[in-house]
Amino acid sequence: MSNAREDTDERTDRERTDRDTRNSLIKTEVQTDATVNEGPAPTAVAAHNLNVYYGDEQAINDVSMEIPEKRVTALIGPSGCGKSTFLRCINRMNDMIDVCRVEGDVTFGGKNVYDDDVDPVALRRKIGMVFQKPNPFPKSIRDNVAYGLEIQGYSGDIDARVEEALKGAALWEEVNDQLDSSGLDLSGGQQQRLCIARAIAPDPEVILMDEPTSALDPVAASKIEDLIDDLAEEYTVIIVTHNMQQAARISDRTAVFLTGGQLVEYDNTTKIFEDPEHDRVEDYITGKFG
Amino acid sequence: MPRKTYQRRLEALREAVLEMSALVCDRYELAIEAAIDGDETLGRRVVDGDDDVNERYLRIEDECVALHALQQPVASDLRLVTASFKIITDLERVGDLATNLAAYGSDDGLHPAMEFRGLAESAGDMLADAMAAYETGDVDACYHIAARDEDLDERCRRASQAVLRHLVETDRARDHSSEALAEGLDAVSNGLLAVRDVERVGDHAVNVAARTLYMIENDDELLY
Repeated sequence: MSNAREDTDERTDRERTDRDTRNSLIKTEVQTDATVNEGPAPTAVAAHNLNVYYGDEQAINDVSMEIPEKRVTALIGPSGCGKSTFLRCINRMNDMIDVCRVEGDVTFGGKNVYDDDVDPVALRRKIGMVFQKPNPFPKSIRDNVAYGLEIQGYSGDIDARVEEALKGAALWEEVNDQLDSSGLDLSGGQQQRLCIARAIAPDPEVILMDEPTSALDPVAASKIEDLIDDLAEEYTVIIVTHNMQQAARISDRTAVFLTGGQLVEYDNTTKIFEDPEHDRVEDYITGKFG
Repeated sequence: MPRKTYQRRLEALREAVLEMSALVCDRYELAIEAAIDGDETLGRRVVDGDDDVNERYLRIEDECVALHALQQPVASDLRLVTASFKIITDLERVGDLATNLAAYGSDDGLHPAMEFRGLAESAGDMLADAMAAYETGDVDACYHIAARDEDLDERCRRASQAVLRHLVETDRARDHSSEALAEGLDAVSNGLLAVRDVERVGDHAVNVAARTLYMIENDDELLY
C-alpha cells in the first residue's frame, strides 16, 4: 500500500564528514570516547579531579574531562560558573592570581602542567590564548605577530612566519600592504584576528579563546567563527562563549558548567543542543534557568 | 522564569496545533457522514471549510519559522517546534483527504458492504489518539498507534476486496446498458478511493505519533 510517510523529509544529517580527512591524519596517543560522529580523537588536554579556589571560594568543583585533539570544544554556562577559570587553568594563567589555588591535574601531552618542572612561559607557547577584547600591542602589525617568535629567540625567517600566521588568521589579504602600520589602527574584528595570528605564530598545539567575539559586530564575529573552523584543522581550539548559538554553530563538543563550578554535562554538541541528559542543562540552554 | 514571551509562544504553538487537529478531526467526522449518507450539503460544508484548515496551517507554519529565526530553540523546545512543523503538514493533508471523502458521497453514498464507518472511525481514532499523545507526552501511545496501523491496513485491504466483489456480483445480475455500467463503475471507484484515503489518514496518524515520539524522547524509531 502507498504510505504517506514516504513524503516526509529526510532525516537531519548530523555528520560533519568534512573533518574525516583531518581525523585520519591524527596520530593516536590516548583513545577516548570523544567521538564527533566520525570516530574517536586522541586527547589533547585532560583535567582530572580539578578543584580551583579563589581564597575560600571554590570556583571549580572536581572537574574531570578529556578534550579531543584538533576539535573545537566549547565551554558554556552562566556567569560565575567557572568556565573561564577552567580555561585559564589549562595554560596556568591563573598563576598570576595570588589567591588562586589549584588541586588536581591538568595534563597536556600526558604531562601535568602543574608539575614543578613545567615552565609556564614555555607552556603558553604551546597553549596560546585569545581574549575577549582584542588586545594588540601598540606596535606594527608585523611586530605584533613577530613578538612571540622574538621572545622565544626564533632563528628562522620571521617574515615568512609572520606571513604564515597572518594567512592562518585570515588577515593577510587585508593587511599585506600595511605590515608596518600600527595594529591599533585596524578594525575590532581585524584586531582580534591579529591577536589570533599572534597566538598561532609560535606554532602552538592548543588555542584557548575566552569569548573572542563578544566585543565584535556580527560580521566580524562570523569571520572569527569561520576562522575557528579552519583553525581546528591544525589546532585544538577550546572556547568559552556566552553565545549558545555560537557554541552550537562552531563546536564539536560542548561542556556545560553550572553554578558552583560543576561540570554538569559534556558531550557532542549535537547531543547537548538536541537532547541533553540533565534537566539542569536543558533548563539552562532553553533559557529557563540562568 | 526567563524568556517568558518565548515560553508563552511555545505554549501558544502547542495550543494552536491542538486546535488545528480538533478542527481537522471534526471535518473528518463530518466527511465520513457525508460519504456514507451521500449528503451533498454536508459534503459542501467540509469542502468549503478546508480553507480554514489551510489558513491555520499557514499561520502555524509562519510561527514555526519565526521561532526558529528569532528565538533559536534548542533541546526539547527545538523538538517541539520541529515536530509541530511536521505534524501540521500531516493534519493539513488529512483535511484534504476529508474533502475527498466528502465528495465521494455526492451520489448514493458508499456501499454498505465496505463497512466504511468502522474503518474510517478507526483511522480517525488513531489520529485523535496521536494528537492526545502530542498533548500529554505519552510515549506508549505513540508505539501503540504505529502498531494499530497494521490492523487498519489489513482491514482496508479487505474493504477494497469487498468493493470489487460487489462489482463482480452486481455485474452478473445487472443489465449491461452503458448507463448502468457507468453507475456501477462510479460506485466502485468511489469505494476504492475512499478506502485508500482512510488508509492514508492512518498513515498520517502514524506520522504524528512518530514526530511526537521524537518530540518527547528524541527517538526517531517510528519515522520510517
